Amino acid sequence: MVTINGLKKMYGRAAALDGLDMHVREGALYGFVGPNGAGKTTTIKILTGLLLPDEGKVEIQGEDALADPAGMVDKIGYVPDFFGVYDNLKVSEYMELFASCYGLTGLTARKRSMELLGQVGLDEKTDYYVDGLSRGMKQRLCLARALIHDPLILIMDEPTSGLDPRTRYEFKEILKDLREQEKTVVISSHLLSELSEICTDIGIVEQGRMVLEGTMNHILNQINVQSPLRISVYQGRDQALNILRSHPYVETVTIRHNDIMLNFTGDREDEAALLQQLMDAGVRLCGFMRERGNLESVFIQITSHEEEGRVLIHEN
Amino acid sequence: MKINPVYRQESRVSARSFRLPLIILSCNSLLALVALLDMYSMVTQVKATAEIQYSSFLSLYIFGAAIEFAMLLLIVPALTAGSISGERERQTLNLLLTTRMTPADIVLGKLMSCLSTVFLLVVSSFPILALVFVYGGVTGKDIVLLLISFGSTALLAGSMGICCSSVFKRTTIATAVSYCALAVLVLGTLALRRFTASFQVQESGGAGQGTTWMLLVNPAVSFLAAIKGQLSNVRRITVLEMWTGNAPAGLLARWWLGISTAVQTALSALCLWIAVRRVNPRRRRLWRG
Ligand SMILES: Nc1ncnc2c1ncn2[C@@H]1O[C@H](COP(=O)(O)OP(=O)(O)OP(=O)(O)O)[C@@H](O)[C@H]1O
Ligand SMILES: [Mg+2]
Repeated sequence: MVTINGLKKMYGRAAALDGLDMHVREGALYGFVGPNGAGKTTTIKILTGLLLPDEGKVEIQGEDALADPAGMVDKIGYVPDFFGVYDNLKVSEYMELFASCYGLTGLTARKRSMELLGQVGLDEKTDYYVDGLSRGMKQRLCLARALIHDPLILIMDEPTSGLDPRTRYEFKEILKDLREQEKTVVISSHLLSELSEICTDIGIVEQGRMVLEGTMNHILNQINVQSPLRISVYQGRDQALNILRSHPYVETVTIRHNDIMLNFTGDREDEAALLQQLMDAGVRLCGFMRERGNLESVFIQITSHEEEGRVLIHEN
Repeated sequence: MKINPVYRQESRVSARSFRLPLIILSCNSLLALVALLDMYSMVTQVKATAEIQYSSFLSLYIFGAAIEFAMLLLIVPALTAGSISGERERQTLNLLLTTRMTPADIVLGKLMSCLSTVFLLVVSSFPILALVFVYGGVTGKDIVLLLISFGSTALLAGSMGICCSSVFKRTTIATAVSYCALAVLVLGTLALRRFTASFQVQESGGAGQGTTWMLLVNPAVSFLAAIKGQLSNVRRITVLEMWTGNAPAGLLARWWLGISTAVQTALSALCLWIAVRRVNPRRRRLWRG
């Protein structure tokens, strides 16, 4: 659906994007994550035709988006990281203004905008002035506005910033609706935890480069491998440690209270074999499981560029 | 016909706001006040001397038209200087640009909304100017010429305002610069011409005509050309002829309004072109090719 290759953008001397690659599947809900200043907004501006990259390719549905920006306009809905509202304009008029910017007028425009306002829960506010809406309502209005021309791809730049938990929840519900309508959604955020619940795909961007990209399952698997194995030993800890230290898949061993935490690179079968080995050696265990994979920790890990050595750490 | 969405939105908002009625009310009351005072002074003169000076009716027309012209010059920059920069400040420009609207659509929508306000102003003030019709002496052709001058002035000032608005990020700066630019165009060219002419007088002994072409960009001079007919009734020789002289630049003087309108329209087109380029986020730098 959306393919970006080697995107580069310099602001003066500083590179905002440094060869960014991105692949968004059709129908995906793509979480575009990165710390502040990673280049998310810059990428999105290029995607929406508001910025010209210095280098790189952008393809949308197999067509060169940079060569034909006018052709992309109908395919993309854009929810920016600001509101962009006019004062002195009512909600319904605001929607109709943007409808007419896409060539929709009259009854079609009115019906479409009422439908969308209903979808985002603003149907009772049509006669309010736009600048009198609360932040959350403005956000939802912006979403409705971006959908006015029924785009294939919806691109949202930090749409949930500054929303209360309840509005966030509602926002996610709206996103689920959109998924059911088979729209492709790209949503940028610096909060991974928020995206991990709803996204199907994740791309983690860091200093203008994509550092990790893939489907949620793929990434979670990777994370699971990376997350530690927790072994609670009831009796025979030293024996267990001896086995673990000489095990080929064990990278690091950390002792935390009565538990042993392992960085274990094997898969589930190897885990079973290890468990068997420990039992056979007469170690009495009362717990043996993987910690749940946590995207947040991966994110921190990826974005903090630290290499961990193979060490034995006592944390008592 | 499709109405430009930007234009439609602007007119909707301006119809709702207090500004438009205020502008129309204040302009027309000023105009009416001047007209009535002029009439009053005429009437008192008639009472005193029992002599009706026909030319004073015409001077009423000239005076009214001049006031309206001055109001145009004052109002149009205020109407347009915030057009693009205001959209930038509200961050709505980027939203419009992600729709089917092209930069040219946006700029033209802004221009249209300015011109329609001016149109409203001129039309609403016509009854006052038409006072003079009661006495005759002003023909339909004069009115058409006056409207041409008003129209091209509004177009030029509006385009300059929009251009400044697109070049400068802040509305206040854009407003200041567009007033200055207009002042340069109206007063600056006059001053410069006088300055250069003062040298030429010593050389050739005649009124300097070499730099008169500079005044072609001056909307005020076009306005003088447009009301030339009435002016010559009141004063023997028009200012314009004083400047252009009779013999060599006679052609220029005769077709002054047409030529200067063409020049000013071209200047407006240039301003609009710059504005469209500035609005386009995807413009490549010219010198990079
Ligand atoms: N107009 C600009 N002029 C100069 N530098 C800019 C400009 N816009 C962005 N940058 C720089 O480009 C880099 C990427 O910025 P960008 O806005 O894309 O980050 P982001 O990922 O959206 O961050 P955030 O999470 O804070 O929104 C930053 O280092 C920023 O300083
Ligand atoms: Mg951003």
